[in-house]
Amino acid sequence: MDKNFDASRRKFILGSSAVAFAVLATGAVTVLRNDPAKSRETIEPETLRSIKVDAWVSIDSNNVVTIHFPSTEMGQGIMTSQPMIFAEELDADWSKVIARQIDQGPLETFGNPHTGGILFTAGSSSIEGYFTKLRMAGANVRRILLYTAATVMGVPVTDLVTEKSEVIHPRSGQRLTYAAIANAGSMVTNVPAITEADLKPREEWRIIGRDQNRLDIPAKTLGETVYSIDVRVADMVYATQALAPVEGETPLQIEDGEARRIKGIIDILPLKNSVAVVATTFEAAIEARNKLQITWSQTSPFRGVNSQQELADTELAAKDLNLTATAWENRGNAVAALHADAENVVYATYTTEHVYHAQMEPLCAVANVDEDEKGAEVWLGTQSQTLSIGAAAQALQTTPDRIRFHAMQMGGAFGRRTFFARDLLVDAIHISRAVKRPVKLMWTREDDVKNGWLRPATAHHLSATLDKEGRVKAMRHRVASPSIFEFAAPQRWANAKGRDLLVMEGTESSEYDIPDFLAEHVLLKRQSRVSAWRGIGWGINCYARECFIDELALKAGQNPLDFRRRLLQNSPRSLKLLDEVTQMSDFGNAPNGRAHGLAFAGYKSTLGAGVAEVSRDPNTGKVKVHKFWAAVDPGIVIHPHNYIAQTEGGIIFGLSGLMRERVSFVNGEIEQQNFYDYEVMRIGDVPQIKVNIVESGEAPSGAGEIGVPMTGGAVANAFRALTGEHLRHMPFG
Amino acid sequence: MLTLNVNGQVVTIEASSDVSLLWVLREHLGLTGTKYGCGAGMCGACTVHIDGVANFACQIMAADAANTTITTIEGLSEDGTHPLQLAWIEEQTPQCGYCQSGQIMRAAALIADNPKPTREEIIDGMSANICRCGSYPRIVRAIERAVKEDHHG
Repeated sequence: MDKNFDASRRKFILGSSAVAFAVLATGAVTVLRNDPAKSRETIEPETLRSIKVDAWVSIDSNNVVTIHFPSTEMGQGIMTSQPMIFAEELDADWSKVIARQIDQGPLETFGNPHTGGILFTAGSSSIEGYFTKLRMAGANVRRILLYTAATVMGVPVTDLVTEKSEVIHPRSGQRLTYAAIANAGSMVTNVPAITEADLKPREEWRIIGRDQNRLDIPAKTLGETVYSIDVRVADMVYATQALAPVEGETPLQIEDGEARRIKGIIDILPLKNSVAVVATTFEAAIEARNKLQITWSQTSPFRGVNSQQELADTELAAKDLNLTATAWENRGNAVAALHADAENVVYATYTTEHVYHAQMEPLCAVANVDEDEKGAEVWLGTQSQTLSIGAAAQALQTTPDRIRFHAMQMGGAFGRRTFFARDLLVDAIHISRAVKRPVKLMWTREDDVKNGWLRPATAHHLSATLDKEGRVKAMRHRVASPSIFEFAAPQRWANAKGRDLLVMEGTESSEYDIPDFLAEHVLLKRQSRVSAWRGIGWGINCYARECFIDELALKAGQNPLDFRRRLLQNSPRSLKLLDEVTQMSDFGNAPNGRAHGLAFAGYKSTLGAGVAEVSRDPNTGKVKVHKFWAAVDPGIVIHPHNYIAQTEGGIIFGLSGLMRERVSFVNGEIEQQNFYDYEVMRIGDVPQIKVNIVESGEAPSGAGEIGVPMTGGAVANAFRALTGEHLRHMPFG
Repeated sequence: MLTLNVNGQVVTIEASSDVSLLWVLREHLGLTGTKYGCGAGMCGACTVHIDGVANFACQIMAADAANTTITTIEGLSEDGTHPLQLAWIEEQTPQCGYCQSGQIMRAAALIADNPKPTREEIIDGMSANICRCGSYPRIVRAIERAVKEDHHG
């Protein structure tokens, strides 16, 4: 086992002559200083544990500021935008900032208040959840530097200002770098607590809201970024799994004689869900896997499930108003209002098929279990350090502090890497424990597809009545689908009272002025592994609703824009977005042979509106998207350039999903294998995209998912405007 | 024993005769900038140059690459200043970054072969490579920028 690691990893490593600032959840700050007398520049772990903090920031003798960021990087740019927020309040020299991932640490300090207080990067919550926390922490550290500088200079602290990692006394021209202050005799930590009133006013921001270059990009142009699949440690061996063809089955009999004769095979191990092959090379492991003869159990209830049947049953369930449903959003009394005007109810049903994440990096975990089998070092690209550490600890029946965790850059995630550690990482740990060596467990693309956690099939039955002026009096959005929450997070589901935010968010239609409104969930039994997918419920719910709003406009004899304007009359932010996007697109004036479609579709507190310009592809007869315009209002924008890039990416992801993405399964087995039968969008199908930010100055919100929800409605509505044909089933292609 | 010329260096490795170039590069030689995405020649994450031509490393047996000159992302430029690498930064192209080695290698072969590609030629030339994050518009812009700046420079 790697003895050196235990010594280095558990301590907070400081560069020479560096000082680190640990900001407690209470706002109090502890200064951690390296001990020059010791050869290793470290803080003893006992010190950290006793004060229950890790450090947000350290400053070295060259005035380089290292900021630790809590969310994990999957491409969304959080490695840059979170440090930007901290650096703004610290008044750091951004050109000398280094960002470092937080791998673990006390949740009181680092947990995301918007994800239940744990380290969890999901639901575009990293900016909204950490914005204030990071500002307060940065301001706290700055204040300590200011007070210490005042002592060193012998001047009143009120006479000092900061700029680019320096404290300046303008009257005398004295300057001290943060590094110089950090090296002063002792830091003044007894400073007045920071309150929100002490934070910089917006007009003084010089890092937030500017187009900083992303800190992760240079390495990504050189092939130097290390993803979990790239991890190589001394003495490491490779593992692959022959996974059960159907969820719930287990290997009963394994004929492995031929496989074991292959050069380099170390062991072949039965696991609960699979047979693992361990070898000195990956190619040997794969070759041996292909030679295994496995008899699987035949008792899984999933043997009897078929995706087409599930889809049909789901549609029936949504339409059957006698089935019990859990209310998600309830304003007024929509059921009574619809009943009272029963003969005039307008209704339509929309369905969506299963889709797969198709993150570019197939899942992979690297684990090295300690000799005593009560601890491990782990490398994993994950959306949650906390959940992954918990799963690893549980696998070894140990405590989380025995897991030395490395949160790796992810080659995409899109929801796939939320709750997955309980399978992949736990298996890697079992294998490493068995062979007593570090193990890299890799899934092939085929493994990744066939064992995908799918966005489930959904059906949306919408019904509404209009008054004489064509205003929406009452509307009901009834969703039928299995619960994602129940499968992904069973412990939390137990207390959720049947309310599944991963399915139902986005049905609220809260910006729309509809007096009687009900959104409800008909909970079905899952027929596959299920998961959130980029855009979560917003993606599919906004698709169904925005198509239905267009159908209502048609019924009312109004154009889709005016109809929405009236629905949004109480939401000035929303009206601005409609104005912006219709102006950008010259809405309604598409060239011959094409048409425009509009969708008003946000994501959580982000508001968004999109317009698609489409034609009918003469070769396929299907919809073809030529242009897409989006106007988004996320509140304060931290990193504008990246915000636009994320929105573009989300639009492309949404368009990809609605065109051809579809997973089917027969007798519990997923039929697709790889990118040849699960088709994601390629460069030639990407429309011209223009994204404008309409900033309202409200609290900031996330960037990663806002592009998705507006795509389905805009494209379907455009196609209906062009052809009169409704696209009520996704995918459209 | 297998002898390969990778990034200007002659290396000898022990590997079975039917192993793909991808696993030799990544796991035997530690050149992990070349990525595994599909193993089926469908995504382009493993794109490398063989005698200057873009190829899927996952579709070539390492043994068949003997007596060729292999270039990976690590060997595209001495110091990371290939016009495409600089343009990728200028346009802030990568998101998760996983596909980008392959994208850059594909684009490098494209512009070496056709120094002034039209937008249609760029899109056509890049169609073998998937980016799931949706960085495609910035890939196109970065290639156009590299071509333009290289031309004037």
